[in-house]
Amino acid sequence: MTASTAAPALAPRGSGLVAAVMSALGGLKILLPFALLTAIWWAIKIEAQLSDQILVSPAAVWNAFIQLASHGVLAEYASTSLRMIGISTVISMAVGVPIGFAVGVNRTAAHALEGFLRFLQSISGIAWLPLAIIWFGFSQTTTLVIVIYSLIVPIIFNTMVGVRAIPENYALALRSLGAGRLRLVTDVYLPGALPSIVVGLRLGMGYGWRALIAAEMLVRQGGLGDLIFGARTFNQIDRIITGMICIGCLYIIIDRLIVQPIENLTVARWGLLRK
Amino acid sequence: MSARAISADDKIVVSGFRHFFDTADGPVQATGTLDIRIRAGEFVTLVGPSGCGKTTLLKAIAGFIRPTEGTITCDGKVIRGPGRDRGVVFQELAILPWRTVRRNIGHGLEIAGVAKAQRDETVRRLIALTGLAGFEDRYPHELSGGMKQRVAVARTWAADPDVILMDEPFAAVDAMTRLTLQEELARLCAATTKTVFFITHSVDEAVFLGDRVLVMTRWPGEIKARIDVPRRERGGRDWESFVADAEMQGIAEQVLRLVRAERGAAGAAKPSGAPT
Repeated sequence: MTASTAAPALAPRGSGLVAAVMSALGGLKILLPFALLTAIWWAIKIEAQLSDQILVSPAAVWNAFIQLASHGVLAEYASTSLRMIGISTVISMAVGVPIGFAVGVNRTAAHALEGFLRFLQSISGIAWLPLAIIWFGFSQTTTLVIVIYSLIVPIIFNTMVGVRAIPENYALALRSLGAGRLRLVTDVYLPGALPSIVVGLRLGMGYGWRALIAAEMLVRQGGLGDLIFGARTFNQIDRIITGMICIGCLYIIIDRLIVQPIENLTVARWGLLRK
Repeated sequence: MSARAISADDKIVVSGFRHFFDTADGPVQATGTLDIRIRAGEFVTLVGPSGCGKTTLLKAIAGFIRPTEGTITCDGKVIRGPGRDRGVVFQELAILPWRTVRRNIGHGLEIAGVAKAQRDETVRRLIALTGLAGFEDRYPHELSGGMKQRVAVARTWAADPDVILMDEPFAAVDAMTRLTLQEELARLCAATTKTVFFITHSVDEAVFLGDRVLVMTRWPGEIKARIDVPRRERGGRDWESFVADAEMQGIAEQVLRLVRAERGAAGAAKPSGAPT
Protein backbone atom coordinates (compact mmCIF):
# COMPACT_ATOMS: atom_id res chain seq x y z
CA MET A 1 0.00 0.00 0.00
CA THR A 2 2.71 2.45 0.99
CA ALA A 3 4.58 1.58 -2.15
CA SER A 4 1.76 2.68 -4.41
CA THR A 5 1.11 5.97 -2.60
CA ALA A 6 4.78 6.85 -2.38
CA ALA A 7 5.49 6.15 -6.03
CA PRO A 8 4.11 9.37 -7.59
CA ALA A 9 5.93 11.58 -5.08
CA LEU A 10 9.22 9.87 -5.72
CA ALA A 11 8.91 9.61 -9.45
CA PRO A 12 9.94 13.17 -10.41
CA ARG A 13 13.21 12.87 -8.50
CA GLY A 14 13.35 9.55 -10.32
CA SER A 15 16.63 7.74 -10.33
CA GLY A 16 16.51 4.44 -12.17
CA LEU A 17 17.18 2.65 -8.91
CA VAL A 18 14.04 4.02 -7.24
CA ALA A 19 11.96 2.92 -10.21
CA ALA A 20 13.51 -0.54 -10.11
CA VAL A 21 12.80 -0.91 -6.39
CA MET A 22 9.23 0.27 -6.90
CA SER A 23 8.56 -2.23 -9.65
CA ALA A 24 10.14 -4.99 -7.55
CA LEU A 25 7.82 -4.03 -4.71
CA GLY A 26 4.92 -4.12 -7.17
CA GLY A 27 5.90 -7.68 -8.07
CA LEU A 28 6.14 -8.64 -4.41
CA LYS A 29 2.61 -7.40 -3.83
CA ILE A 30 1.32 -10.19 -6.07
CA LEU A 31 3.24 -12.80 -4.06
CA LEU A 32 2.15 -11.44 -0.69
CA PRO A 33 -1.17 -13.36 -0.43
CA PHE A 34 0.65 -16.60 -1.28
CA ALA A 35 3.25 -15.95 1.41
CA LEU A 36 0.52 -15.14 3.90
CA LEU A 37 -1.40 -18.32 3.12
CA THR A 38 1.76 -20.41 3.46
CA ALA A 39 2.54 -18.78 6.81
CA ILE A 40 -0.96 -19.47 8.14
CA TRP A 41 -0.80 -23.05 6.86
CA TRP A 42 2.56 -23.59 8.57
CA ALA A 43 1.37 -21.98 11.81
CA ILE A 44 -1.72 -24.20 11.91
CA LYS A 45 0.39 -27.29 11.26
CA ILE A 46 2.71 -26.45 14.17
CA GLU A 47 0.26 -24.93 16.64
CA ALA A 48 -2.44 -27.60 16.24
CA GLN A 49 0.21 -30.31 16.13
CA LEU A 50 -1.50 -31.95 13.17
CA SER A 51 -0.16 -35.32 12.11
CA ASP A 52 1.12 -35.81 8.57
CA GLN A 53 -1.98 -37.94 7.97
CA ILE A 54 -4.09 -34.73 8.12
CA LEU A 55 -1.80 -31.98 6.87
CA VAL A 56 1.84 -31.86 5.92
CA SER A 57 4.12 -28.84 6.28
CA PRO A 58 5.04 -26.58 3.36
CA ALA A 59 8.56 -27.97 3.65
CA ALA A 60 7.26 -31.50 3.05
CA VAL A 61 5.37 -30.28 -0.01
CA TRP A 62 8.56 -28.65 -1.30
CA ASN A 63 10.39 -31.95 -0.81
CA ALA A 64 7.64 -33.82 -2.64
CA PHE A 65 7.83 -31.29 -5.45
CA ILE A 66 11.60 -31.75 -5.76
CA GLN A 67 11.21 -35.52 -5.72
CA LEU A 68 8.39 -35.57 -8.30
CA ALA A 69 10.16 -33.05 -10.50
CA SER A 70 13.55 -34.75 -10.40
CA HIS A 71 12.16 -38.12 -11.39
CA GLY A 72 10.28 -36.58 -14.32
CA VAL A 73 6.97 -37.76 -12.85
CA LEU A 74 5.56 -34.26 -12.55
CA ALA A 75 6.57 -33.33 -16.09
CA GLU A 76 4.92 -36.50 -17.35
CA TYR A 77 1.58 -35.78 -15.68
CA ALA A 78 1.70 -32.03 -16.39
CA SER A 79 2.51 -32.53 -20.07
CA THR A 80 -0.48 -34.87 -20.41
CA SER A 81 -2.75 -32.15 -19.01
CA LEU A 82 -1.17 -29.44 -21.16
CA ARG A 83 -1.44 -31.57 -24.27
CA MET A 84 -5.12 -32.21 -23.57
CA ILE A 85 -5.94 -28.53 -23.02
CA GLY A 86 -3.90 -27.61 -26.11
CA ILE A 87 -5.67 -30.08 -28.40
CA SER A 88 -9.06 -29.09 -26.98
CA THR A 89 -8.37 -25.38 -27.47
CA VAL A 90 -7.35 -25.82 -31.10
CA ILE A 91 -10.37 -27.99 -31.91
CA SER A 92 -12.76 -25.70 -30.02
CA MET A 93 -11.53 -22.58 -31.79
CA ALA A 94 -11.55 -24.25 -35.20
CA VAL A 95 -15.12 -25.47 -34.75
CA GLY A 96 -16.58 -22.92 -32.32
CA VAL A 97 -15.63 -19.68 -34.07
CA PRO A 98 -17.24 -20.58 -37.42
CA ILE A 99 -20.37 -21.82 -35.64
CA GLY A 100 -20.56 -18.66 -33.54
CA PHE A 101 -20.12 -16.64 -36.70
CA ALA A 102 -22.80 -18.43 -38.64
CA VAL A 103 -25.22 -18.00 -35.77
CA GLY A 104 -24.22 -14.37 -35.13
CA VAL A 105 -24.86 -13.08 -38.63
CA ASN A 106 -28.24 -14.75 -38.80
CA ARG A 107 -30.63 -12.87 -36.55
CA THR A 108 -33.22 -15.64 -36.47
CA ALA A 109 -30.65 -18.30 -35.63
CA ALA A 110 -29.12 -16.10 -32.94
CA HIS A 111 -32.48 -15.57 -31.27
CA ALA A 112 -33.30 -19.26 -31.51
CA LEU A 113 -29.97 -20.43 -30.09
CA GLU A 114 -29.30 -17.86 -27.38
CA GLY A 115 -31.45 -19.57 -24.78
CA PHE A 116 -30.14 -22.98 -25.76
CA LEU A 117 -26.51 -21.87 -25.37
CA ARG A 118 -27.26 -20.38 -21.96
CA PHE A 119 -28.87 -23.67 -20.98
CA LEU A 120 -25.77 -25.59 -22.07
CA GLN A 121 -23.53 -23.13 -20.24
CA SER A 122 -25.33 -23.97 -17.02
CA ILE A 123 -24.61 -27.68 -17.42
CA SER A 124 -20.94 -27.90 -16.54
CA GLY A 125 -18.66 -30.24 -18.43
CA ILE A 126 -18.36 -32.44 -15.35
CA ALA A 127 -22.11 -33.10 -15.45
CA TRP A 128 -21.55 -34.78 -18.80
CA LEU A 129 -18.96 -37.19 -17.33
CA PRO A 130 -21.38 -40.04 -16.48
CA LEU A 131 -22.74 -40.09 -20.03
CA ALA A 132 -19.31 -39.67 -21.59
CA ILE A 133 -17.91 -42.56 -19.54
CA ILE A 134 -20.81 -44.79 -20.63
CA TRP A 135 -20.24 -43.85 -24.28
CA PHE A 136 -16.45 -43.64 -24.48
CA GLY A 137 -15.27 -45.58 -21.43
CA PHE A 138 -12.42 -44.56 -19.13
CA SER A 139 -10.40 -43.17 -22.02
CA GLN A 140 -8.74 -39.95 -23.05
CA THR A 141 -11.57 -39.56 -25.56
CA THR A 142 -13.92 -39.05 -22.61
CA THR A 143 -11.63 -36.38 -21.17
CA LEU A 144 -11.32 -34.66 -24.55
CA VAL A 145 -15.07 -34.62 -25.07
CA ILE A 146 -15.65 -33.06 -21.64
CA VAL A 147 -12.95 -30.43 -22.09
CA ILE A 148 -13.95 -29.50 -25.63
CA TYR A 149 -17.56 -29.17 -24.50
CA SER A 150 -16.49 -26.83 -21.66
CA LEU A 151 -14.36 -24.76 -24.00
CA ILE A 152 -16.53 -24.59 -27.06
CA VAL A 153 -19.76 -23.33 -25.52
CA PRO A 154 -18.29 -20.02 -24.27
CA ILE A 155 -16.36 -19.63 -27.52
CA ILE A 156 -19.51 -20.08 -29.63
CA PHE A 157 -21.50 -17.84 -27.32
CA ASN A 158 -18.98 -15.00 -27.21
CA THR A 159 -18.28 -15.16 -30.93
CA MET A 160 -22.00 -14.86 -31.54
CA VAL A 161 -22.31 -11.96 -29.11
CA GLY A 162 -19.26 -10.26 -30.65
CA VAL A 163 -20.63 -10.51 -34.17
CA ARG A 164 -24.02 -9.23 -33.09
CA ALA A 165 -22.52 -6.27 -31.19
CA ILE A 166 -20.95 -4.87 -34.36
CA PRO A 167 -22.96 -1.79 -35.39
CA GLU A 168 -25.08 -2.51 -38.46
CA ASN A 169 -23.81 0.69 -40.07
CA TYR A 170 -20.28 -0.70 -40.34
CA ALA A 171 -21.51 -3.31 -42.76
CA LEU A 172 -23.88 -0.93 -44.55
CA ALA A 173 -21.13 1.67 -45.05
CA LEU A 174 -18.86 -0.99 -46.48
CA ARG A 175 -21.52 -2.30 -48.82
CA SER A 176 -21.85 1.26 -50.13
CA LEU A 177 -18.12 1.17 -50.79
CA GLY A 178 -18.74 -1.88 -52.94
CA ALA A 179 -17.87 -4.63 -50.46
CA GLY A 180 -19.09 -8.17 -51.11
CA ARG A 181 -19.89 -10.85 -48.56
CA LEU A 182 -16.32 -12.09 -48.14
CA ARG A 183 -15.07 -8.52 -47.64
CA LEU A 184 -17.63 -7.97 -44.91
CA VAL A 185 -16.37 -11.06 -43.10
CA THR A 186 -12.67 -10.22 -43.36
CA ASP A 187 -12.93 -6.45 -42.87
CA VAL A 188 -15.89 -6.05 -40.52
CA TYR A 189 -17.11 -9.18 -38.77
CA LEU A 190 -13.82 -10.91 -37.99
CA PRO A 191 -11.90 -7.91 -36.62
CA GLY A 192 -15.05 -6.60 -34.95
CA ALA A 193 -15.73 -9.85 -33.14
CA LEU A 194 -12.10 -10.63 -32.29
CA PRO A 195 -12.00 -9.02 -28.83
CA SER A 196 -15.15 -10.91 -27.88
CA ILE A 197 -13.75 -14.14 -29.31
CA VAL A 198 -10.66 -13.69 -27.14
CA VAL A 199 -12.88 -13.18 -24.10
CA GLY A 200 -14.68 -16.40 -24.99
CA LEU A 201 -11.36 -18.20 -25.39
CA ARG A 202 -10.20 -16.96 -22.02
CA LEU A 203 -13.39 -17.99 -20.26
CA GLY A 204 -13.44 -21.29 -22.11
CA MET A 205 -9.87 -22.14 -21.15
CA GLY A 206 -10.71 -21.43 -17.52
CA TYR A 207 -13.75 -23.73 -17.64
CA GLY A 208 -11.86 -26.25 -19.76
CA TRP A 209 -8.92 -26.43 -17.37
CA ARG A 210 -11.19 -27.10 -14.39
CA ALA A 211 -13.18 -29.69 -16.31
CA LEU A 212 -9.95 -31.32 -17.45
CA ILE A 213 -8.68 -31.84 -13.90
CA ALA A 214 -12.05 -33.20 -12.78
CA ALA A 215 -12.27 -35.56 -15.75
CA GLU A 216 -8.72 -36.79 -15.19
CA MET A 217 -9.61 -37.65 -11.59
CA LEU A 218 -12.36 -39.97 -12.75
CA VAL A 219 -10.89 -41.26 -15.99
CA ARG A 220 -7.44 -41.94 -14.50
CA GLN A 221 -5.52 -41.90 -17.79
CA GLY A 222 -2.76 -39.50 -16.77
CA GLY A 223 -2.74 -35.78 -16.14
CA LEU A 224 -2.51 -33.71 -12.96
CA GLY A 225 -6.02 -34.74 -11.89
CA ASP A 226 -4.94 -38.37 -12.06
CA LEU A 227 -1.80 -37.52 -10.06
CA ILE A 228 -3.62 -35.94 -7.13
CA PHE A 229 -6.43 -38.48 -7.09
CA GLY A 230 -3.96 -41.35 -7.19
CA ALA A 231 -1.99 -39.83 -4.33
CA ARG A 232 -5.16 -39.88 -2.23
CA THR A 233 -5.16 -43.70 -2.29
CA PHE A 234 -1.93 -43.76 -0.29
CA ASN A 235 -2.75 -40.63 1.70
CA GLN A 236 0.16 -38.77 0.10
CA ILE A 237 -0.97 -35.32 1.17
CA ASP A 238 2.37 -33.80 0.11
CA ARG A 239 1.81 -35.01 -3.45
CA ILE A 240 -1.81 -33.86 -3.50
CA ILE A 241 -0.89 -30.33 -2.51
CA THR A 242 2.06 -30.27 -4.92
CA GLY A 243 -0.32 -31.24 -7.72
CA MET A 244 -2.84 -28.60 -6.70
CA ILE A 245 -0.21 -25.89 -6.72
CA CYS A 246 0.95 -27.02 -10.15
CA ILE A 247 -2.62 -26.90 -11.47
CA GLY A 248 -2.93 -23.28 -10.33
CA CYS A 249 0.51 -22.19 -11.49
CA LEU A 250 0.18 -23.78 -14.93
CA TYR A 251 -3.14 -22.04 -15.50
CA ILE A 252 -1.74 -18.66 -14.52
CA ILE A 253 1.16 -19.20 -16.90
CA ILE A 254 -1.16 -20.17 -19.77
CA ASP A 255 -3.43 -17.21 -19.09
CA ARG A 256 -0.78 -14.55 -18.53
CA LEU A 257 1.65 -15.66 -21.19
CA ILE A 258 -0.73 -16.55 -24.00
CA VAL A 259 -4.31 -15.39 -23.63
CA GLN A 260 -3.92 -12.05 -21.87
CA PRO A 261 -1.34 -10.62 -24.30
CA ILE A 262 -3.72 -11.32 -27.20
CA GLU A 263 -6.54 -9.63 -25.34
CA ASN A 264 -4.45 -6.61 -24.42
CA LEU A 265 -3.28 -6.23 -27.98
CA THR A 266 -6.75 -6.11 -29.51
CA VAL A 267 -8.34 -4.02 -26.77
CA ALA A 268 -5.56 -1.47 -26.44
CA ARG A 269 -5.41 -0.89 -30.16
CA TRP A 270 -9.05 -0.66 -30.94
CA GLY A 271 -10.01 1.15 -27.73
CA LEU A 272 -13.55 1.78 -28.75
CA LEU A 273 -14.63 -1.81 -28.86
CA ARG A 274 -15.08 -2.35 -25.17
CA LYS A 275 -16.92 0.39 -23.42
CA MET B 1 -40.51 25.81 -57.32
CA SER B 2 -42.93 23.21 -58.53
CA ALA B 3 -42.63 19.90 -60.32
CA ARG B 4 -40.28 19.86 -63.27
CA ALA B 5 -40.44 17.75 -66.36
CA ILE B 6 -38.23 14.66 -66.42
CA SER B 7 -34.94 15.67 -67.91
CA ALA B 8 -31.78 13.92 -68.94
CA ASP B 9 -29.69 15.42 -66.17
CA ASP B 10 -31.85 13.88 -63.44
CA LYS B 11 -29.51 11.75 -61.36
CA ILE B 12 -31.83 10.30 -58.75
CA VAL B 13 -35.54 9.97 -59.41
CA VAL B 14 -37.88 8.89 -56.62
CA SER B 15 -41.35 8.24 -57.94
CA GLY B 16 -44.38 7.11 -56.00
CA PHE B 17 -42.18 5.91 -53.16
CA ARG B 18 -43.94 4.77 -50.02
CA HIS B 19 -42.54 2.45 -47.39
CA PHE B 20 -43.89 0.17 -44.68
CA PHE B 21 -41.82 -1.75 -42.16
CA ASP B 22 -42.85 -5.26 -41.23
CA THR B 23 -43.19 -5.65 -37.48
CA ALA B 24 -44.66 -8.27 -35.19
CA ASP B 25 -47.85 -6.17 -35.07
CA GLY B 26 -48.11 -5.99 -38.83
CA PRO B 27 -46.84 -3.36 -41.26
CA VAL B 28 -46.03 0.10 -39.89
CA GLN B 29 -46.02 3.01 -42.31
CA ALA B 30 -42.66 4.77 -42.47
CA THR B 31 -43.25 7.45 -45.09
CA GLY B 32 -45.99 9.10 -47.10
CA THR B 33 -45.87 9.07 -50.89
CA LEU B 34 -42.74 10.80 -52.13
CA ASP B 35 -41.73 12.12 -55.56
CA ILE B 36 -38.29 13.69 -55.76
CA ARG B 37 -35.87 14.46 -58.56
CA ILE B 38 -32.25 15.29 -57.89
CA ARG B 39 -30.20 16.70 -60.77
CA ALA B 40 -26.61 15.67 -61.37
CA GLY B 41 -24.26 17.91 -59.42
CA GLU B 42 -27.05 19.30 -57.26
CA PHE B 43 -26.83 19.57 -53.47
CA VAL B 44 -30.29 18.83 -52.10
CA THR B 45 -31.04 19.09 -48.40
CA LEU B 46 -34.08 17.57 -46.73
CA VAL B 47 -35.45 18.97 -43.48
CA GLY B 48 -38.29 17.50 -41.51
CA PRO B 49 -39.40 16.66 -37.99
CA SER B 50 -37.92 13.55 -36.43
CA GLY B 51 -39.75 10.35 -37.23
CA CYS B 52 -41.14 11.68 -40.52
CA GLY B 53 -39.32 9.05 -42.58
CA LYS B 54 -36.24 10.98 -43.78
CA THR B 55 -33.82 8.21 -42.96
CA THR B 56 -36.07 5.58 -44.54
CA LEU B 57 -35.97 7.52 -47.80
CA LEU B 58 -32.19 7.82 -47.64
CA LYS B 59 -31.78 4.13 -46.92
CA ALA B 60 -33.96 3.29 -49.89
CA ILE B 61 -31.86 5.50 -52.18
CA ALA B 62 -28.74 3.84 -50.74
CA GLY B 63 -30.31 0.47 -51.58
CA PHE B 64 -30.34 -0.83 -48.01
CA ILE B 65 -34.11 -1.33 -48.14
CA ARG B 66 -36.49 -2.19 -50.98
CA PRO B 67 -39.38 0.25 -51.40
CA THR B 68 -42.78 -1.19 -50.54
CA GLU B 69 -44.30 0.98 -53.28
CA GLY B 70 -42.85 3.01 -56.13
CA THR B 71 -39.40 3.01 -57.66
CA ILE B 72 -36.13 4.81 -57.20
CA THR B 73 -33.72 5.13 -60.08
CA CYS B 74 -30.16 6.29 -60.38
CA ASP B 75 -29.10 7.28 -63.91
CA GLY B 76 -32.36 5.75 -65.12
CA LYS B 77 -31.61 2.33 -63.62
CA VAL B 78 -33.78 0.98 -60.81
CA ILE B 79 -31.86 0.72 -57.53
CA ARG B 80 -31.81 -2.86 -56.27
CA GLY B 81 -29.09 -2.73 -53.65
CA PRO B 82 -26.18 -0.72 -52.35
CA GLY B 83 -23.48 0.19 -54.84
CA ARG B 84 -20.21 2.00 -55.23
CA ASP B 85 -21.95 4.75 -57.22
CA ARG B 86 -23.81 5.88 -54.07
CA GLY B 87 -21.69 6.64 -50.99
CA VAL B 88 -23.24 7.06 -47.56
CA VAL B 89 -22.09 9.14 -44.60
CA PHE B 90 -23.84 8.14 -41.39
CA GLN B 91 -24.48 10.18 -38.28
CA GLU B 92 -23.25 7.32 -36.10
CA LEU B 93 -19.59 7.03 -36.87
CA ALA B 94 -19.42 4.09 -39.21
CA ILE B 95 -15.68 4.27 -39.68
CA LEU B 96 -13.95 1.11 -38.49
CA PRO B 97 -12.22 1.42 -35.08
CA TRP B 98 -9.58 -1.18 -35.96
CA ARG B 99 -8.32 0.73 -38.98
CA THR B 100 -6.12 3.81 -38.91
CA VAL B 101 -7.31 7.06 -40.46
CA ARG B 102 -5.32 6.29 -43.59
CA ARG B 103 -6.69 2.78 -43.97
CA ASN B 104 -10.26 3.90 -43.29
CA ILE B 105 -10.10 6.59 -45.94
CA GLY B 106 -8.52 4.23 -48.46
CA HIS B 107 -10.95 1.40 -47.73
CA GLY B 108 -13.25 1.97 -50.71
CA LEU B 109 -10.28 2.07 -53.07
CA GLU B 110 -8.87 -1.07 -51.48
CA ILE B 111 -12.18 -2.86 -52.07
CA ALA B 112 -12.22 -1.61 -55.66
CA GLY B 113 -8.75 -3.11 -56.14
CA VAL B 114 -7.05 0.20 -56.92
CA ALA B 115 -3.24 -0.05 -56.99
CA LYS B 116 -1.51 1.01 -53.80
CA ALA B 117 0.39 3.95 -55.30
CA GLN B 118 -2.77 5.46 -56.73
CA ARG B 119 -4.65 4.73 -53.51
CA ASP B 120 -2.02 6.49 -51.41
CA GLU B 121 -2.18 9.47 -53.72
CA THR B 122 -5.98 9.82 -53.38
CA VAL B 123 -5.82 9.31 -49.62
CA ARG B 124 -3.13 11.96 -49.30
CA ARG B 125 -5.18 14.44 -51.32
CA LEU B 126 -8.28 13.88 -49.19
CA ILE B 127 -6.37 14.03 -45.94
CA ALA B 128 -5.12 17.44 -47.03
CA LEU B 129 -8.60 18.55 -48.15
CA THR B 130 -10.21 17.52 -44.86
CA GLY B 131 -7.47 18.86 -42.59
CA LEU B 132 -6.46 15.45 -41.24
CA ALA B 133 -2.76 15.81 -41.97
CA GLY B 134 -0.66 14.51 -39.10
CA PHE B 135 -3.37 12.08 -37.99
CA GLU B 136 -2.91 9.48 -40.74
CA ASP B 137 -1.76 6.71 -38.45
CA ARG B 138 -4.12 7.33 -35.55
CA TYR B 139 -6.97 5.02 -34.67
CA PRO B 140 -10.48 6.52 -34.52
CA HIS B 141 -10.66 6.30 -30.71
CA GLU B 142 -7.70 8.68 -30.56
CA LEU B 143 -9.60 11.35 -32.52
CA SER B 144 -12.17 13.99 -31.55
CA GLY B 145 -15.76 13.71 -32.78
CA GLY B 146 -15.16 16.29 -35.49
CA MET B 147 -12.03 14.48 -36.69
CA LYS B 148 -13.88 11.17 -36.88
CA GLN B 149 -16.61 12.77 -38.95
CA ARG B 150 -13.96 14.19 -41.31
CA VAL B 151 -12.61 10.66 -41.73
CA ALA B 152 -16.09 9.37 -42.57
CA VAL B 153 -16.58 12.14 -45.16
CA ALA B 154 -13.10 11.62 -46.63
CA ARG B 155 -13.65 7.86 -46.87
CA THR B 156 -16.82 8.40 -48.90
CA TRP B 157 -15.20 11.01 -51.17
CA ALA B 158 -12.11 8.85 -51.71
CA ALA B 159 -14.24 6.07 -53.18
CA ASP B 160 -15.40 8.66 -55.74
CA PRO B 161 -19.12 7.85 -55.99
CA ASP B 162 -21.36 9.98 -58.21
CA VAL B 163 -23.93 10.40 -55.48
CA ILE B 164 -23.30 11.04 -51.80
CA LEU B 165 -26.03 10.45 -49.26
CA MET B 166 -25.56 12.06 -45.86
CA ASP B 167 -27.78 11.30 -42.89
CA GLU B 168 -27.40 14.07 -40.30
CA PRO B 169 -23.64 13.64 -40.43
CA PHE B 170 -22.85 16.55 -38.11
CA ALA B 171 -25.59 16.07 -35.51
CA ALA B 172 -23.29 14.39 -33.01
CA VAL B 173 -20.50 17.01 -32.94
CA ASP B 174 -20.39 20.19 -30.87
CA ALA B 175 -21.87 23.39 -32.28
CA MET B 176 -18.62 25.20 -33.05
CA THR B 177 -17.05 22.20 -34.78
CA ARG B 178 -20.26 21.74 -36.72
CA LEU B 179 -19.96 25.24 -38.28
CA THR B 180 -16.43 24.44 -39.42
CA LEU B 181 -17.42 21.05 -40.81
CA GLN B 182 -20.30 22.61 -42.76
CA GLU B 183 -17.97 25.18 -44.32
CA GLU B 184 -15.49 22.45 -45.15
CA LEU B 185 -18.22 20.35 -46.75
CA ALA B 186 -19.33 23.31 -48.91
CA ARG B 187 -15.72 23.80 -50.01
CA LEU B 188 -15.26 20.07 -50.69
CA CYS B 189 -18.43 20.01 -52.81
CA ALA B 190 -17.23 23.02 -54.76
CA ALA B 191 -13.88 21.33 -55.41
CA THR B 192 -15.52 18.14 -56.70
CA THR B 193 -18.71 17.58 -58.66
CA LYS B 194 -20.95 15.34 -56.66
CA THR B 195 -24.66 14.96 -56.38
CA VAL B 196 -25.43 15.25 -52.69
CA PHE B 197 -28.56 14.34 -50.80
CA PHE B 198 -28.27 15.61 -47.25
CA ILE B 199 -30.71 14.96 -44.41
CA THR B 200 -30.87 17.27 -41.43
CA HIS B 201 -33.24 18.69 -38.90
CA SER B 202 -31.35 21.96 -38.75
CA VAL B 203 -32.95 24.69 -40.87
CA ASP B 204 -29.79 26.80 -41.03
CA GLU B 205 -27.71 23.82 -42.08
CA ALA B 206 -30.21 22.95 -44.82
CA VAL B 207 -30.21 26.48 -46.27
CA PHE B 208 -26.47 27.03 -45.80
CA LEU B 209 -25.51 23.85 -47.67
CA GLY B 210 -28.34 23.18 -50.11
CA ASP B 211 -28.85 24.34 -53.68
CA ARG B 212 -32.40 23.27 -53.00
CA VAL B 213 -34.17 22.60 -49.71
CA LEU B 214 -36.98 20.06 -49.42
CA VAL B 215 -39.26 20.36 -46.42
CA MET B 216 -41.04 17.25 -45.23
CA THR B 217 -44.31 17.07 -43.33
CA ARG B 218 -44.63 15.23 -40.03
CA TRP B 219 -45.16 11.47 -40.11
CA PRO B 220 -46.06 9.95 -42.47
CA GLY B 221 -43.78 12.35 -44.28
CA GLU B 222 -44.51 13.89 -47.66
CA ILE B 223 -42.73 16.72 -49.42
CA LYS B 224 -44.39 19.93 -48.37
CA ALA B 225 -42.20 22.52 -50.07
CA ARG B 226 -39.25 22.72 -52.46
CA ILE B 227 -37.22 25.90 -52.13
CA ASP B 228 -34.37 26.95 -54.40
CA VAL B 229 -31.42 28.61 -52.74
CA PRO B 230 -29.71 30.95 -55.22
CA ARG B 231 -25.94 30.82 -54.98
CA ARG B 232 -23.86 33.71 -56.28
CA GLU B 233 -20.88 31.43 -56.47
CA ARG B 234 -20.24 27.81 -55.69
CA GLY B 235 -18.04 27.22 -52.69
CA GLY B 236 -16.29 29.89 -50.67
CA ARG B 237 -19.25 29.96 -48.32
CA ASP B 238 -18.78 30.95 -44.72
CA TRP B 239 -21.18 31.41 -41.85
CA GLU B 240 -20.33 35.07 -41.24
CA SER B 241 -21.41 36.16 -44.72
CA PHE B 242 -24.36 33.75 -44.66
CA VAL B 243 -25.69 35.36 -41.49
CA ALA B 244 -25.15 38.85 -42.96
CA ASP B 245 -26.95 37.99 -46.23
CA ALA B 246 -30.53 39.26 -46.08
CA GLU B 247 -31.71 37.02 -48.93
CA MET B 248 -30.33 33.88 -47.26
CA GLN B 249 -31.83 34.87 -43.94
CA GLY B 250 -35.18 35.40 -45.69
CA ILE B 251 -35.04 31.87 -47.10
CA ALA B 252 -33.97 30.44 -43.76
CA GLU B 253 -36.91 32.18 -42.08
CA GLN B 254 -39.30 30.85 -44.71
CA VAL B 255 -38.04 27.29 -44.19
CA LEU B 256 -38.15 27.72 -40.44
CA ARG B 257 -41.84 28.70 -40.56
CA LEU B 258 -42.64 25.67 -42.72
CA VAL B 259 -40.82 23.32 -40.36
CA ARG B 260 -42.24 24.91 -37.20
CA ALA B 261 -45.76 24.46 -38.54
CA GLU B 262 -45.04 20.71 -38.64
CA ARG B 263 -43.44 20.62 -35.22
CA GLY B 264 -46.53 22.24 -33.73
CA ALA B 265 -48.79 19.63 -35.25
CA ALA B 266 -46.55 16.66 -34.49
CA GLY B 267 -47.00 14.22 -31.67
CA ALA B 268 -50.65 13.28 -31.57
CA ALA B 269 -50.71 11.60 -34.96
CA LYS B 270 -47.52 9.66 -34.54
CA PRO B 271 -47.74 6.17 -33.07
CA SER B 272 -45.09 5.27 -30.54
CA GLY B 273 -43.85 2.48 -32.74
CA ALA B 274 -43.06 4.66 -35.72
CA PRO B 275 -39.40 4.60 -36.73
CA THR B 276 -37.24 7.66 -36.37
